[in-house]
Amino acid sequence: MQVNRKELAVRYRSTVAALAAIVAATALTGCGRAEEAGGGQAQPSSTVAAKATGKITMWAMGNEGELLPEFVKKFEADNPGVTVDVTAMPWDSAYQKFQTAIAAGNVPDLAMMPGLPVFKDAFAPVPDAIDTSGMYPGSVSTGTIDGKLLEVPWYVDVRALYYRTDLAEKAGWDKPPATWEELQQMAADLQKKAGAKWGIRLPAGTTGSFQSALWMAWSSGAELMNADRSAWTLDTQEFASAFEYLASYFEKGIADPNADTAPAAAVKDFMTGATPMLVAGPFLRGAIAQAGGEKFASMYTTVPLPAGKSSTSFVGGANLVVFKGAKNPDSAWKLVQWLSQADTQAAWYKVSGDLPSIESAWKDPALVSDPTLAAFAEQLKTAKAPPQVVSFDKVGAAGDAAIEQIVKGGKPVSDALRQLQKQADGIGVS
Amino acid sequence: MRASHDVRARRAGGANSERRRRQTLIAWLFTAPFVVVFAVFMILPIASSIGFSFTDMTAQDIQSPFNVDFVGFEQYANVLSDPEFQNAAWVTALFVIVGIPVTVALGLGLALALNSGIRRLRPIYRVAFYAPVVTSVVAVSVIWRYILARDGLLNMVLALVGVEGPDWLNSTTWALPSLILMAVWRNTGTLMIIFLAGLQAIPTDVREAAEMDGAGRWRRLRSVTLPLLRPTMLLGSVLISVGYLQFFEEAFVMTQGGPLSSTLSMTYYTFNTFGFGDFAKASAASYIMFVVIAAVSILQFRLLRRST
Repeated sequence: MQVNRKELAVRYRSTVAALAAIVAATALTGCGRAEEAGGGQAQPSSTVAAKATGKITMWAMGNEGELLPEFVKKFEADNPGVTVDVTAMPWDSAYQKFQTAIAAGNVPDLAMMPGLPVFKDAFAPVPDAIDTSGMYPGSVSTGTIDGKLLEVPWYVDVRALYYRTDLAEKAGWDKPPATWEELQQMAADLQKKAGAKWGIRLPAGTTGSFQSALWMAWSSGAELMNADRSAWTLDTQEFASAFEYLASYFEKGIADPNADTAPAAAVKDFMTGATPMLVAGPFLRGAIAQAGGEKFASMYTTVPLPAGKSSTSFVGGANLVVFKGAKNPDSAWKLVQWLSQADTQAAWYKVSGDLPSIESAWKDPALVSDPTLAAFAEQLKTAKAPPQVVSFDKVGAAGDAAIEQIVKGGKPVSDALRQLQKQADGIGVS
Repeated sequence: MRASHDVRARRAGGANSERRRRQTLIAWLFTAPFVVVFAVFMILPIASSIGFSFTDMTAQDIQSPFNVDFVGFEQYANVLSDPEFQNAAWVTALFVIVGIPVTVALGLGLALALNSGIRRLRPIYRVAFYAPVVTSVVAVSVIWRYILARDGLLNMVLALVGVEGPDWLNSTTWALPSLILMAVWRNTGTLMIIFLAGLQAIPTDVREAAEMDGAGRWRRLRSVTLPLLRPTMLLGSVLISVGYLQFFEEAFVMTQGGPLSSTLSMTYYTFNTFGFGDFAKASAASYIMFVVIAAVSILQFRLLRRST
């Protein structure tokens, strides 16, 4: 032993002290939330460049990220001297990438953004020069956070009813179901008379179930929050009747409570006729066309959701944001403006299959001529989106659990909703 | 000894201590690359996550992480009083209490069999039992989903003997046992290898001496082999329990914590909490788990070290 014990103890103590100092520094320095800025603080206003210049960096996910670099060549040609640098990223890592970029202050100029109100502080407000008046109101609400428009709707995802016409005919249905009673009757008939294993595919409590069941709640007149968005309103008569209706499918054995939730399984069950009816977005058309080809196109149809008190669908999709930390914001807004024009959106539909958020783009022959799109166009007029608040993620997960308890745990709807309301109150509205 | 050392140090004076200081400095220089990397990528995140667990930080604060309120132990109280966490703790406890003894017993049994019983084809058996350990959990989960599906392999086999099996992964009763079975299958190989090494380190003359004294097989196992294997068993059980307490992968790929949260473990709860952006609460949950793992490890050391 060259070093005596006392010296060791001192060294040890100083290491501990250093560690403690780091901890204390992290825990205490600059602690305390700043008072909410409130309305008094002047919003930095954004402007749109007359002509885009310089380099614009953009992040986009999945299919869009792959197709955009080619698509924006037109924009580059219209604005000489601009280069748009699109970085494609996988959906799975998008959230993390945004989080890291925002924390590090190393953001792109603009990005494709699927809602994500959690990052609202990093988004620049949308300038007045970008016109969203021609866009579907449900879609615009997905970009409105705390009453301010922070995201410009780009493409929409809206739900409609898909069913197999060949099997429906066998079951004695030559017209689409118009009401909830008819929908359930038709599902039961498909099962009994057309040999389907299950009548319809419905959410049974796995991730995303609450969101997938929202069309039922909205169609029976429910609202997620009260008018001034100060409280969740989940334990209501309207929610109860929607969830009772959902639960009845499982009680009667028309829907499978343990269906495989992988997207590929939904397509497979639809095409084999095992589950010949489901509620889904426009992307399913693409998946069906890819797997079944032309021949299958005549074997199914898409129709608006059967009405309860109304036929109100769910609308989502992706928006465009420009970050506060953007290096070339004015030109980035110019690109957003271009992407949200009707003719650009119609052209983008032909390239990607993404449905336009702007109503006038739907007049394009390419969209009008596709018979499977009419139902989506119809639903978009009235479709709603959940409020863009950070806490909806948690409330939605609690809702998933509530549905699972109703469907698989045999919990009475009233009990499940009372508990859900209590959880939502605890989670809060911000 | 300390007195004489102090005297020596005092007498040596300036030149000696000057050299020591230089040596220390050089030593630090050599270790600097590691120390810097370790400090930046390990100590800093660990220290800051401890710090964050005492605040109300959420994902909305990432731009200004120091602009949060200090809330003391509130997050810890939140986690501990959350019924979902209590459920997760119970699920994890069941997983550990059932899983560890079964894995240890199976690993030990296989190691003993390979060490003395099985003579032919020994390498093939070793590979077969160890293969699950090195296989990717994603690939494994695909296979196991087929095995455990409603009309899967297991239920087909059961049907042959006239038993109608349940829908294993969608049953609140059977989902956790199914995952325990899968975890045991995946981890037995690790313990087998460790125990095999321990067994081979036991000197043969001890066994021979016991044999000369007239001890039978069972007696030799109980009074000679197992006591000598105790340090190895300590190592094995600590390793495996650290892994089991962090039970996550199996549930993540097979059941997503369902049905009705019956396979939602503590790690899964923490993962979900991070997913919701509740960084402070998730950090608190992580440190609660850290304390539990440390406590369980200490307990095992106490229990198994007693006579060594």
